[in-house]
Amino acid sequence: MGKGSKSSRKGKKAWRANISTEDIEDFFEKSTKDALSGGNLSAAPSEELFHVDKSHDIPVKRKIEKNREKVLRCDSVLKKNPFVQVVSSSKPKSKISKKKTNVVERKTPKQAQKNVDDGSVMMDLWGDDNNSGMFSIQKLTSTIPAVEVDPAGCSYNPTAESHEDMLAEAVAQEMQKVYKTELGPEPVPLTIDGDANIEDEAGLLSVCNRIINGKSAYFLGVDNGSEGEEEADAENEVSEAGNKLPRTTKRVTRVVLNKRSRQKALRKLETKEKLKEKISKEIDRFEAPPVQVLLTEEMTGSLRKLKACCTLARDRFKSLEKRGILVPSKNIRR
Amino acid sequence: MPKHYRPAGKKKEGNAARYMTRSQALKSLQVNLNLFRRLCIVKGIFPREPKKKVKGNHHTYYHVKDISFLQHEPLLEKFREIKTYLKKVQKAKAKKNEELARLLLTRQPTYKLDRLIRERYPTFIDALRDLDDCLTMVHLFAVLPASDRENLEVKRVHNCRRLSHEWQAYISRTHALRKVFVSVKGIYYQAELEGQKITWLTPHAIQQVFTNDVDFGVLLTFLEFYETLLAFINFKLYHSLNVKYPPILDSRLEALAADLYALSRYIDASSRGMTVEPKVDASSSSQSNDRAESELRLAQLQHQLPSSEPGALMHLVADKEVEEDEETRTCKSLFKDLKFFLSREVPRESLLFVLPAFGGIVSWEGEGAPFNEDDDSITHHIIDKPSAGHMYLSREYVQPQWIYDCVNARIILPTEKYLVGRVPPPHLSPFVDNEAEGYVPDYAETIKRLQAAARNDVLPLPGVGKEDLEDPQNLLYAGVMSRTEEAEAAKTKKKMAELEKQYHEELKKEVTGIEVDEEATPMVEEGEGEESVPDASQIEQDTADMPTLMMSRKKKKLYEAMKMGQKKKSESVERIKQRKKNLKADQ
Repeated sequence: MGKGSKSSRKGKKAWRANISTEDIEDFFEKSTKDALSGGNLSAAPSEELFHVDKSHDIPVKRKIEKNREKVLRCDSVLKKNPFVQVVSSSKPKSKISKKKTNVVERKTPKQAQKNVDDGSVMMDLWGDDNNSGMFSIQKLTSTIPAVEVDPAGCSYNPTAESHEDMLAEAVAQEMQKVYKTELGPEPVPLTIDGDANIEDEAGLLSVCNRIINGKSAYFLGVDNGSEGEEEADAENEVSEAGNKLPRTTKRVTRVVLNKRSRQKALRKLETKEKLKEKISKEIDRFEAPPVQVLLTEEMTGSLRKLKACCTLARDRFKSLEKRGILVPSKNIRR
Repeated sequence: MPKHYRPAGKKKEGNAARYMTRSQALKSLQVNLNLFRRLCIVKGIFPREPKKKVKGNHHTYYHVKDISFLQHEPLLEKFREIKTYLKKVQKAKAKKNEELARLLLTRQPTYKLDRLIRERYPTFIDALRDLDDCLTMVHLFAVLPASDRENLEVKRVHNCRRLSHEWQAYISRTHALRKVFVSVKGIYYQAELEGQKITWLTPHAIQQVFTNDVDFGVLLTFLEFYETLLAFINFKLYHSLNVKYPPILDSRLEALAADLYALSRYIDASSRGMTVEPKVDASSSSQSNDRAESELRLAQLQHQLPSSEPGALMHLVADKEVEEDEETRTCKSLFKDLKFFLSREVPRESLLFVLPAFGGIVSWEGEGAPFNEDDDSITHHIIDKPSAGHMYLSREYVQPQWIYDCVNARIILPTEKYLVGRVPPPHLSPFVDNEAEGYVPDYAETIKRLQAAARNDVLPLPGVGKEDLEDPQNLLYAGVMSRTEEAEAAKTKKKMAELEKQYHEELKKEVTGIEVDEEATPMVEEGEGEESVPDASQIEQDTADMPTLMMSRKKKKLYEAMKMGQKKKSESVERIKQRKKNLKADQ
């Protein structure tokens, strides 16, 4: 019994195990059944087995109507059932009426309460102060004070000397910015005059580099090597065709193509690094907020006419950055 | 036994094992950036600067222990729950089921920050130490306009306002205010509570602006935390005064924006054992209006009581636990017996805070004020116009700077310079220690003299007086003095050395039997005297170098750095003096 039909029949032992005769026995059983019950089903004609109902008592409904009438059981249970009779209550009427009035009254005090405790339950958080010496707090920002008082020159009516001091500081800040823009390297222009005579690879490469630094989309947007190569080819062809006598475009060799793709990869790496540099410069720099000091013209000595600082949120934000709680970044948030 | 398996690339020790980048942290916490930011702010976890940034300079690094601390925070689960709940709201809205969306929004799960406050500030003193930033933030948001774009609701602004007023009422009631400085940015206050100096900044009464370079989402998260913190602190402080918190104020006064005054009345009434009846209906019917008026009158009378008998009030509030030390007493009695009236254009909120904190009685123009402009007992009328209209003779008309300068000097300054129409003298900063800087502005000297005079009146000891009227210039020569002292010490030392030598020589001569040549000794002395001149300087230098010789190299370097700093300061002082001279010459 354990062996399949394709097991080896070598030797007497193989024959000794029962070869299943199930299929033969099944056949016999079936045929006897059929004979006893009146014939083989597959042999019977279809008219005897099936009956087509051609009566038209129930009208044919449209599919939509059928769907609409379907009601969920839970919903139907909730609906009022006319067959269910109301059971008379066992409680006396006075008690019922009281319950109703309670429900109505409860609403108003609850509303009033809502205004008062809108969240946390007020309690003395440090009531049992005596036994809480076990916690040790990690004080990371204790060196720089949270609120730094402006020096005396920022008073609304400062002494002449301290005012000059602060003005000097403010001027120094501004001049530093000016100097940085003046003395720093020239920003690369976005487009430069293209020289159509560039034929050798080196010249083309230098032009390409310059353009890449100016973030020209022409080379950066390229993902597919082959696309770029085609364009490069087209460029080459155009430039060559434009200058020299019209002749058949030179077939670019495989060697040259490989070279170009390698250089393109190099260029991509360079731009990536430059981007990284830029980001790191943005992140590591904390820009001190401008000194809030009155200009000499604005110093009137009158509190009413004081041109006050209206961007105090910035002061708070810079203080957070200074203490290292927020990481400064040059991006404009909006 | 299988070896302990560590995944490839995971370091065991060093900076790489101790710090992780922000993206790594996000992945380990399974949370998105906004939530992570909020959680960090609320838990007080900040990025660190490791010595070696393993993944590059352009990442922010967090300590691994901090992040694992975050992982066990139940608030994380709460935030996630809220996020999924908001998804339900979004779904309802997308199915155009506005009612369901509204219903769901009212049942939104909320979270509380109480536990976090207890965690971050286990004792009350710790919480007081962090109050600076908290107070400044709350005061700032109390005057910002509500804006939909920045998600700043009106309710929030009102809450901030209420908290800031409660704090100010407490400080002024317990006379804890010590210094005030009016600058361009705003008004700086410093108060002292339980030995802690708390400094905060209040903006001027000008419309604040939302700038582009500030991330208001972050500020709002901070505000949320600080609001809760300040509420708990106020609760504890009010309880120490035996006043019920949260205070329920007279709604009429609140409507008139006289919160501070209403609070001070509430505290007075509560501390005296009376209870102010709560007003549940803000929309008052006629009945409650009458009730309000009668209560107002009653409370006003009570307010008048302490003004006339300050001593009685002290006795009444006997259960005050606040021990009054020397400073509080001086502050309390600064403006005693003086009555102030504020004109419309002066910074009312600020003065309403400062004046009662120093014992004065204030009123202003408008409804609900304790007394009117034409009250006879007003001693000072604070005005900021170029000229006063109708001037009463019994009172002085001064500019608001007079009050601030008096507060900083702790004496009543003469009002001449601050009268109406004049440019007042410069407003000095009390946060600058003039002695330490070495340079004292002119007006500060005047104030010092007045202070000394006032102290003389109180303590009539002639000896003390002379010492007080020291020339502040002496302090500049402090360095020189010590040098002269050193030179003197060197000279005496030299003399002692000479005398010793002489004694030894005489002994020797006695022993050897040679007669003492008295003539030779003066020559020797002279000769020695000639040599002694460089000797004195040598000895001087030696005594100066002596402490440095004994120091380690590290300390020596520190000492030299200190000296350089002092030199720089004295140079800047010299520069300022030069400028002063030039200004005077130009004038």
